[in-house]
Amino acid sequence: MMKNLVKIATCLMLTLSIGGQAYAVDGGNPKKGKHLYKKECKACHSKGDAAGELTPMSKTMSQWDRFFQRDMHKVKPDVFEKLSEKERLDIQQFLYDHAADSDQPQTCG
Amino acid sequence: MRTLLSILIANALAFSGSAYSADQEQQKLADLKQQLAELSQEIDDINSRVDKNERHTSLDRIEITGDFRTKAHSLHYQNVTWNPAIKVDFNDFGQKAMSGAFGMPNDPSSPLGQMLSANPDLAMAFQNGMLQGVMPYVLAPKSTQDINNDIFYTTRLRLNLKAKVWDNVSFAARLSMYKNWGDSTGTQVFDSWRSFTMDGTSSGNTSGDWLRVERAYFNWKDIGGSNTFLSIGRRPSTYGPPSHYRENEKRGGTPSGHLVNFNFDGLTLGYNLSEITGIDGQIVRFCYGQGFESQWGNGEMFGDIVTKDTHLGGFNIDAINDGNHFLQFTLFGAKDINDGFKGTMAFPTQLAGIFAPTMYQDMQKFSNFNFETRVQPSGVIGDMYLGGIGYAYESDEDMKVFASLGWTRAEGNGNAGMFGGMLSDAVFEAQLNADGSEIIMMPSAADSDDAKDGYGVYVGIQVPVPYGKFGLEYNYGSKYWTPFTQAQDDPIGSKLATRGHVAEAYYMFDINPRMFIKLAGLYYDYEYTGSGTPVGAPQKIDDVIAGTAFSMLPAVDTAYDINASLVVNF
Repeated sequence: MMKNLVKIATCLMLTLSIGGQAYAVDGGNPKKGKHLYKKECKACHSKGDAAGELTPMSKTMSQWDRFFQRDMHKVKPDVFEKLSEKERLDIQQFLYDHAADSDQPQTCG
Repeated sequence: MRTLLSILIANALAFSGSAYSADQEQQKLADLKQQLAELSQEIDDINSRVDKNERHTSLDRIEITGDFRTKAHSLHYQNVTWNPAIKVDFNDFGQKAMSGAFGMPNDPSSPLGQMLSANPDLAMAFQNGMLQGVMPYVLAPKSTQDINNDIFYTTRLRLNLKAKVWDNVSFAARLSMYKNWGDSTGTQVFDSWRSFTMDGTSSGNTSGDWLRVERAYFNWKDIGGSNTFLSIGRRPSTYGPPSHYRENEKRGGTPSGHLVNFNFDGLTLGYNLSEITGIDGQIVRFCYGQGFESQWGNGEMFGDIVTKDTHLGGFNIDAINDGNHFLQFTLFGAKDINDGFKGTMAFPTQLAGIFAPTMYQDMQKFSNFNFETRVQPSGVIGDMYLGGIGYAYESDEDMKVFASLGWTRAEGNGNAGMFGGMLSDAVFEAQLNADGSEIIMMPSAADSDDAKDGYGVYVGIQVPVPYGKFGLEYNYGSKYWTPFTQAQDDPIGSKLATRGHVAEAYYMFDINPRMFIKLAGLYYDYEYTGSGTPVGAPQKIDDVIAGTAFSMLPAVDTAYDINASLVVNF
């Protein structure tokens, strides 16, 4: 029963993620997004925080897009509400550009 | 699941007001049952599909991405001058000739007689006593010409492999194919240092239709809970900053691309300082590698190896890397550099005429045949040091400017091979071959063993423009500038290794975030010969053209490369 619910959720996510490709974030400023991310997100999402550590690599590009389009930080909606639409787009662009499946700098370490 | 839905529907029906007739109720119930059946069927189908996905995700341990580049070049070289000569110790030659060691000069069958009859100018100078000290012995008449390769196409395919081994261990590799159209021979006629097929430059030199392992290494980070990481393998030591801007890529390698663009096998031991200092991207790396293996594969069982392994070590420090500012310091040393590497080449007929007259007799009958040969260096010529500082700024609006200053130091040990010693020329001495039938010239020593410092400057700017990006770059290298950038894939030769000036302009049209077209033009103005090699004394190009200086390989005065490329990332 629970397993089935999980599977349905997964499938919906997969379906949405495939559709999500078409909605790839665009137009945000990733550099401004990085500053905002460090100021707004890392305050609660650094190593050892109760909210759990988050880095751009925590999600894939589609997962970040979905998070900003659907979830909107529903755990604590006020976090998102206090940001302007442009600020959210900048953060989204930064996270998308550095997501787990994005192009990464090719260095060691 | 089905039970749950049935109960929910039954409840919903039970509590709904009976505003409908019994028929309508029945109809609605039938519709709902039908929908329920369809939904159940759909869930069963989704179940089986998710099972496959789950299984695939579990078993698929490697992520593959890549890029594909097609490039068309138009290459033009001006005043390409070939004026080969060797420096010969004529005092030594005179003594040996006078002592009768080479036979009698008036005996046409003696080695000396043969040599003098084959070189009338030399005979005249010898008889007039004009051969004193170390003088050039001209090997072929000087030729100067312009050379145009109107169209030259290349294809490059790179496959990136990535795997997560454990939470703090990852593996990365890049398989690369780089070929020019219509050729997969893998060896080129040796007409320049660039045309030598070897391990260190194979990623940037067209070879053929096979994938090479350009890089393969693991990263083991947070070792024992510390900020230390270790990486061993074939290094990510090509396309480093700031040379990645012109590639329209993220940073493509660890070391400064101004100093190092070369395939190295080795290791990096790094420490993530930013965790302590709080400065973004601050990493100190100690790098070690081996650039040449002297024994294995070189016939060591015959017991006559005179070369030595070449070991490199140094520091690569990212002082800051926060997305806006990037500052890097580099300091490297290479111990026991030999006068070349192991590699393959197609032996040029032109050199056979000079150095292998017996072989040349037959080779003339097959002027379009070049025998392929494996070459190894002949001895250790000294040590080298490289240092540099590079800074790049990326604005929030995506404008990029960078400047890099590099320094190279070559410390010769006085030894020399056929093409010279450490940034010095070989002095040849005449001797008889094994059966005493011919006088051959053999390198005896380098004409200097001073330390020689070179420096290089590399600056550039890239600005966002309609449809993409526009960039301008300039670099300069001094007489003794000798970086390890020979794997840079510019067909004319690594632009950053140039002893002289190079200017480049490009326009990149971003078709979509994963695809772009680049139009570029590069202009090279060489001031000295031997760009990209520590072997041989750099000669002023103008002097080579004037005939007062010599070059064993054709020397290019100026050159330009107009190219267009299309890159697809996948």
